[in-house]
Amino acid sequence: MRNGPLFVTFLTGATLIAIFFIPHHRAQETQSVILEWADVVYTFALILGSFSLWIANQTKVARRGEGWGYSLVTLVSLTLVTVLGVVQGVSAGTAVGWIYNAINAPLASTMFSLLAFFIASAAFRAFRARNVEASLLLVTAIVMMIGRVSIGEFLWEGFPPLTEWLLDVPNLAAKRAVAIGVGLGAISTALKIIVGIDRSYLGRS
Amino acid sequence: MDSSPDLRWFNLDRLNLLIGLFLFLSFLAINRVRARNLDSIYIRPLPGLKALDEAIGRATEMGRPILYVPGIGDMSEVGTLAAITISGPVARRTAELGCELRVPCYDPVVAALIDGVARQAYSEANRSDSYIAGSVYYVSATQFAYVASVTGTMLRDRPAANIYMGAFYAESLFLAETGNQTGAVQIAGCDQVTQLPFFVCSCDYTLLGEELYAASAYLGREPDQLATIAAQDWAKALAVVVVLLGILFALLGRPELGKWLQTS
Repeated sequence: MRNGPLFVTFLTGATLIAIFFIPHHRAQETQSVILEWADVVYTFALILGSFSLWIANQTKVARRGEGWGYSLVTLVSLTLVTVLGVVQGVSAGTAVGWIYNAINAPLASTMFSLLAFFIASAAFRAFRARNVEASLLLVTAIVMMIGRVSIGEFLWEGFPPLTEWLLDVPNLAAKRAVAIGVGLGAISTALKIIVGIDRSYLGRS
Repeated sequence: MDSSPDLRWFNLDRLNLLIGLFLFLSFLAINRVRARNLDSIYIRPLPGLKALDEAIGRATEMGRPILYVPGIGDMSEVGTLAAITISGPVARRTAELGCELRVPCYDPVVAALIDGVARQAYSEANRSDSYIAGSVYYVSATQFAYVASVTGTMLRDRPAANIYMGAFYAESLFLAETGNQTGAVQIAGCDQVTQLPFFVCSCDYTLLGEELYAASAYLGREPDQLATIAAQDWAKALAVVVVLLGILFALLGRPELGKWLQTS
């Protein structure tokens, strides 16, 4: 039975590849069933993950490790939202719906808004003219920034078309080159797993 | 609107993809034979992977942990599969050097798989007793909750090295910039084109796009794994030739090849 998981992987992968080329309604129904199985597996893994989260934070609280207060908040939140969700459901108008809209969404927005500051600090580091490539990046970035605001057109009407050219020609060419490589790499990785060349996901070398 | 069930057994619009798939499989078969007959297939050195050993060694000397972040993709993303594969050699090296490994996960399935891979790696290094249960842990499937937890770990525990491998989205810059502020050695590998500039700005080494997929073969050095990279290179060369032919034919007023290559 050592090769059982490899056989299941091969069978599932080969079936899904075949279904991609078969538009017959029976084949498409089979694909939907397989994808439902994936959802079921995910649900069980989520329960397992929640236990892992509970144990990790409970241990930290018990040992009064650094930042144990955050772990306590995690434990209380996990318990509260789970209980409320099971009792009342999770749709709009329930307590979980309120928690999501009044606490979770604003917290996520707050985190996301910090991105502007991180972009500024990363840009500051990247735009130092240390060598030819970094200088080229700096000049391009300046042209892009000026060309995308209204003052750019006021200074020189060629700025907006220049930014469009930068985006549509050199930038797009580089992005497509990476995308072609990624596409072929993805096919290669998927085939490696389907035909059993790569078995590391089973915990085997 | 026609609501009758589709009774076709083959989608002719995807014939080009089927031919491409068979060509790729042929390249793979040929290169597997080549890899077994030759001593090895040459792979261009990847500085990011060479730096992995150095980063783990540095963490061991400093007595600080290694933080391995497998991205926020699920099992349907190839970048995540690559992250799971790379976690094996990383865990093995940390086991050999006696360094602490921490892997916060966004997806519970990924957490379970990496836990298994890491346990096996510790076992292969004859260090099963050193494996700390809970070092691979599930955090949250909410993007910014995950970011808050991982960046909190970076700021509190100050890992000596942060390794980002897998599928990343808007959180890439949060993680990489926070890691940069803590002074950790940072190695990233990402297949999302839009996130690569952020990693390049904030990390010491970055594996670009397909290099992420090549990493497992590079680290493993097994002939069959190397054969997949060679097959990938052959396919890339073929893609270049076909694209050039498509352009040439289009310029000559025959756009049929370009249209036939379009996917549906």
